Amino acid sequence: MADAIRIENLKKSFRLGFIPKTKDILKGISLSVKEGEIFGYLGPNGAGKTTTIKCLLGLIFPDEGTIAIFGQPHLSARARQVLGFLPENPYFYDYLTAREFLAFYADLFGLGRNVKEERIGRLLKLVGLERAADLRLRKFSRGMLQRIGLAQALINDPKLVILDEPLGGLDPLGRKEIRDIIVRFKQEGKTVFFTSHILQDIEMICDHVAIIVGGLVVKQGALQDLVSEKVLFTEITVMGVSPESFRGLGESVSVQGERVLLKVLEEKRVDDVLAVVREKKGKIISLSPRTETLEDIFVETVTGT
Amino acid sequence: MKIVAIAGITFKEAKRDRILYLLFFFAAVAILASRVLAVLTVGDRVKIIKDVGLSSISIFGVLMAVLIGTSLVYKEIDKKTIFTLLSKPLHRAEFILGKFFGLVLTLLVMTLGMSLIFLVIVYLHTFRVEWPMLIAIAYIFLELVLITAVAILFSSFSTPILSSIFSLSFYLIGHLSWGLEVLIKKMQAGAGRAVAQFLYIFLPDLENFNFKMEVVHGLPIPAGIFVYSFLYGVFYTAFILGLAILIFRRRDFI
Amino acid sequence: MTRTNAPARGSATLILLAVILASCAAFMALKVRTDAIVRKKLPGSSIIYLPSGKFLQYATFGYRALAADLIYLWAIQYYSTPTIDDRFNYLDHIFAIISELDPAYIDPYETGALIATAEAQDIRLAFKILDNGIEKNPQQWLLPFEAGHIAMMNLKNFDLAKDYFKKCMDLPGAPEFTRRLYANALYKKGDVETSWETWLEIYNTAPDERTKKIASNHLYQVKSAMDIDRLKEALKKYEERYGRRPAELGDLVRTRILNELPKDLDSRDYVYDPKTGEVKAATIPWRR
Repeated sequence: MADAIRIENLKKSFRLGFIPKTKDILKGISLSVKEGEIFGYLGPNGAGKTTTIKCLLGLIFPDEGTIAIFGQPHLSARARQVLGFLPENPYFYDYLTAREFLAFYADLFGLGRNVKEERIGRLLKLVGLERAADLRLRKFSRGMLQRIGLAQALINDPKLVILDEPLGGLDPLGRKEIRDIIVRFKQEGKTVFFTSHILQDIEMICDHVAIIVGGLVVKQGALQDLVSEKVLFTEITVMGVSPESFRGLGESVSVQGERVLLKVLEEKRVDDVLAVVREKKGKIISLSPRTETLEDIFVETVTGT
Repeated sequence: MKIVAIAGITFKEAKRDRILYLLFFFAAVAILASRVLAVLTVGDRVKIIKDVGLSSISIFGVLMAVLIGTSLVYKEIDKKTIFTLLSKPLHRAEFILGKFFGLVLTLLVMTLGMSLIFLVIVYLHTFRVEWPMLIAIAYIFLELVLITAVAILFSSFSTPILSSIFSLSFYLIGHLSWGLEVLIKKMQAGAGRAVAQFLYIFLPDLENFNFKMEVVHGLPIPAGIFVYSFLYGVFYTAFILGLAILIFRRRDFI
Repeated sequence: MTRTNAPARGSATLILLAVILASCAAFMALKVRTDAIVRKKLPGSSIIYLPSGKFLQYATFGYRALAADLIYLWAIQYYSTPTIDDRFNYLDHIFAIISELDPAYIDPYETGALIATAEAQDIRLAFKILDNGIEKNPQQWLLPFEAGHIAMMNLKNFDLAKDYFKKCMDLPGAPEFTRRLYANALYKKGDVETSWETWLEIYNTAPDERTKKIASNHLYQVKSAMDIDRLKEALKKYEERYGRRPAELGDLVRTRILNELPKDLDSRDYVYDPKTGEVKAATIPWRR
């Protein structure tokens, strides 16, 4: 299968200011996204995530480097036909109704009338906006705008869906809905490329991840490869045993009445703790090993560079 | 056709702009006021009505074209609606042309409206439908089309205020072409005059579209000028739109 | 590796540039063509849309003086373009407008009168313009001066000239030669008495030697005129009485027609030619 996206050595700098000062935003980005996977693109603010996406979409013209979408030059009409895009903080023509809005984008793809109507109906249902179909966009809430934006991105039934911060500003229910939709895309065989700050969501649904810092991709790979299964520490909640008994075995994180929460760093110490509890006739309330999360990787990467 | 789609929503958007209706209102007031004004004159009253009427259509038409045209493209860029648009398989040229035709359509509707009021007022005075007026109005409209292209050109890279100033300057320069002609006659032959002569035929001559005088006084208009003026308008508009597309094509949308 | 769409974009750009240059060439050619077509103009039509000044006052939104300036500047260009045959048809109208807009703007009155006199050959209009200016600017000496000048030179109407000069010579700022012009006009008109008095006053109040000399010359001239008139009258009486001219001026005294012979300002005798009966002053006033 061809790569859905293949970026090689993408460079872009801007001349800003009255006395033009060149600012290098992208210093040589290289990444590849396989067809049919969900790809997360992370980085701190100002790293160049949105710039990369804009280059991908032909909104910005790169200084150097190549971008291919399903093997086609990224600016070709064929590439544009098969992709859909939802920008961050979308703003649309607020005087159009949801239906008119989607109809307009359908016209831009030259969809025939029947296909158009069927698809608009299906998409409105997919994003849960059937009831607001004839409401003007200016009356939409933030979440609703996000959803109609998603619908617009799908109007051409794209093979590749590019989303810039699709989960931003949504409540937990909204985020779950979008996550589910993205997963459904994958099930339909679509490729999804999105940026997000909310690492838990990425961890939940992404197959591959790239971390961009200061205009360069500093880490790239399958999620499970990046995040090792190494146990960092174990959290044990104990009842009925005083904290002094555990001196030297682990750190007491908090004491609430009879409950003590311990953070045990070394694995073999866990058995020691369990022995103490049995000895003192206490009770284990909970025991959870804490593995490395994406957040840990992220912070480590960003602060390390 | 994609240009048609964009023209369609541009028209929908433009006709929601309140400035349009405000200017239309003032134009209507001016045309109606000419009737009152005509009472003050001694002699031919209809002349005043025709003068004021045609001038109003012209001036307010230009203001509409400039004020709406300069905000049109800028708003899309500023509000970022353009991101979803340009990421579709849409040539940037199609975008510019769509905006242009949408705005031209809007101006057509407005011009027809103002013309209707004007012709009715004239009819009330002469009890004739003055068809020659339509000739002047048609060429006023052609002038508006060109001004629209200019407004879009500036709007594609500049803020609304600057774009408006530039567009209005274009309009003024276009009507002062004769001044340059007078100047050239008084210049000595040489490099300065050669530059002035080049500028003279390069800079717009909007008087080519001005038939108000002939139409009001019933003067004969030489046949050739209809065609040549029309073609002049067409080619100048094409030139301006070409520049607009050229600039717009290589633009980065940060 | 597929590159970005460079070749396709490149050719599209070339096409675009070609379209731009082609339309530019086309419209420039068309401009030359439309210039060649002569559009019928109404006589004076380049200014036919200029309504009366009263209306223009309000239309210029408080920029009346500026509007007056601009119209004046335009008028100068307009009137210095000899190819506009009918340009004098609205001379009155245009300068009336400028006057309405800015009545205190003096130059246009002068220039308008000049154009009327020298180019349009319409002296009456010149006076109309100047009179309008005088009425609006009664303290301005220049305008009656110009009017008097025109009366003197073009119309040779010394009575009119004298009236204008009298008006102007007492106005603030009027140079003292205006008095002399007045006095001279009086003389030319034939009002020798008043002319003598005026010249005497000028002589007495002369600020410098040159003026004194001029005044003195004029006094000489006026006195000569007066004296010659008297002598001529006496000669006539003599002829009536004796049927012939006297042999010399002394005869007039001897026959008691005159008590004494008037002498000119330099106390010289007048010259009499008995053959023609002409009496002349001994010298030309300016050669004294």
